[in-house]
Amino acid sequence: MAGNEEGVRPTGTGRSEAAIARLKRSFAAQNFVLVVLFFLLLFMMPFAPGFKGWMAGQAALVIIYIMAAQGVSILTGYTGLVSVGHGGFLAIGAYTAALLTKYFAIDLALGVLAGGAMAGFVGMVMGLIFLRLAGPFMAIGTLGFAFFVGAVVNNVPLFEGRDGISLAPNRIFGMQIDDVGFYYVCLGFFALVTLFVFSLVRSGVGRALKALRDSEKAAQSSGVNRLFYRTLAFTISATITGAAGALNGLIAHYVSAEVYSDIWYSVDILVAAVVGGSAMLMGPIVGGAFVALLPFFLETLADFSFILKGVVLIAVLMFAPAGICEVIARPFRAYRRRRLERAAQGERGPERPAPPVAMVRKEANP
Amino acid sequence: MASHLRCEQILVRFGGVVACDKVSLDVEEGKIVGLIGPNGAGKTTLFNVLTRFQAHDAGHVYYRGELIDRKRPHEMVLMGMARTFQNINLFGEQSTLDNILIGAHRLTGSPIANMYSLPGSRRRERELARRAGEIAEMLRLSGQLDTAVKHLPYGFQKRVEIARALASEPRLILLDEPVAGCNDEETAELREVVKRINRELGVTVLMVEHDMSMVMNCCEHIYVVNFGANLAQGSPAEIRANPSVISAYLGQEVEA
Repeated sequence: MAGNEEGVRPTGTGRSEAAIARLKRSFAAQNFVLVVLFFLLLFMMPFAPGFKGWMAGQAALVIIYIMAAQGVSILTGYTGLVSVGHGGFLAIGAYTAALLTKYFAIDLALGVLAGGAMAGFVGMVMGLIFLRLAGPFMAIGTLGFAFFVGAVVNNVPLFEGRDGISLAPNRIFGMQIDDVGFYYVCLGFFALVTLFVFSLVRSGVGRALKALRDSEKAAQSSGVNRLFYRTLAFTISATITGAAGALNGLIAHYVSAEVYSDIWYSVDILVAAVVGGSAMLMGPIVGGAFVALLPFFLETLADFSFILKGVVLIAVLMFAPAGICEVIARPFRAYRRRRLERAAQGERGPERPAPPVAMVRKEANP
Repeated sequence: MASHLRCEQILVRFGGVVACDKVSLDVEEGKIVGLIGPNGAGKTTLFNVLTRFQAHDAGHVYYRGELIDRKRPHEMVLMGMARTFQNINLFGEQSTLDNILIGAHRLTGSPIANMYSLPGSRRRERELARRAGEIAEMLRLSGQLDTAVKHLPYGFQKRVEIARALASEPRLILLDEPVAGCNDEETAELREVVKRINRELGVTVLMVEHDMSMVMNCCEHIYVVNFGANLAQGSPAEIRANPSVISAYLGQEVEA
């Protein structure tokens, strides 16, 4: 196809195309710099004056929440599937890491990877099972999955039920670490996951997922294998949430059925993804921080946070269904679109001659 | 000339309604073939059978001699078949460029390797974006590449859909009413586009269309279906002169 058009391209378009490409590159660079600055800020946080040791543990928990929400956002935001059962994957990650640490004394980093891998495997199987279910039916299926996981950890002796599994202090690469050390481990995994999601949604895979989300028929007629990509999305999503679960279990040195059979975990991380805006990189970050910090700021009224979360969720769904971040980003996106459109129109002008007709004529009388 | 897409005795029942009653057709490679018939004649159902969106109760479909009765829709794209929809089916929130790039899905390579945006995949992405730009140029969409398609006028959306289909570099393209709802100017333009796709890119075209000026002007061979069954076939001139076609469908409009 390429060869046919080179010679007949009207002059002028080349320059404006270059201008558009330059603009797009600079937008991408701006995004990247903002993300890097954000992580730099998190990296510097323990050095801030007034920072105390216990804050590191709290901050690590916030990051874990965010990671779990990032996992959910792969499904809800980019693939258009709702999972009300991601607490199940959180539990699988936590128990996998805890059992391996207890019986094989494996390294912290390895525990997190194993937790993610196990959750990812189960996620793949679940994805295959839920493939035939659409919309609300799949959501109910995932809810059933979370209850199933809860029942298993409550009743199978290996998981030690409500007594829970207690673990020795964490060691990474042979070193024993404190709360600040664990904060940096979480930050490292958080950065990896964010980088991965950033790259995933901009790749051909992200494009295929978004296509399935927007129109299954059109996606299939473009050659997207629905079965494969939905299962892939489920696997990736479960892996990320599972890794967060492993960190969640290891930071507490304790994993028990009382915590992980609680369905509210599933709801919380879904709310985190939806409130922030799950089709954006910043969405689960803002949403995860909101859900994790809310009880903390309400202090003695911590029980009140359930009500407040509900109110915020309803408000977001009514007034900003694409999430808080989408509302914040709207003026910036509009500004960038205007600049792109100006660049596109700049040298082209609206009354450029029609290339198809012109070219056909040219062929007719060489 | 070899047969590109062939179906034999296709039967589709929806409950008690027979949508396709033993329809057969044969699309020759490299030609522009039309499929016409009154409303409810089963054209779109047949289209969906050919593109595997609709299961058929009896009969066979062959793509270049290969039986494709059991293929799934996305597999047809991998084999070199692309389609558009009667009611535009685009990704409305996404830009023209992204819509065209989704069409290029079969050229993106291994998904497992693509997720990490390594240099190899990024090079391929740039190449795909460049080709998408060329397709947009051909369909006069260059100025709209970064506009969300839901903001585009109807005629533009029709062209975006054809651009998306072309992005998979098909050997055969099935157009379901490409000029429905378009004005004369847009129709004339799309007519040239279809001819160019066929002549310059060597793509075989099968189109369902109600606009007789489009069908008679573009198509080298026409199939007529009525009440789900084959009624006639032949060159535009033969179809124009066929009395059963005239009585069933064309009426007096054949003068055009």
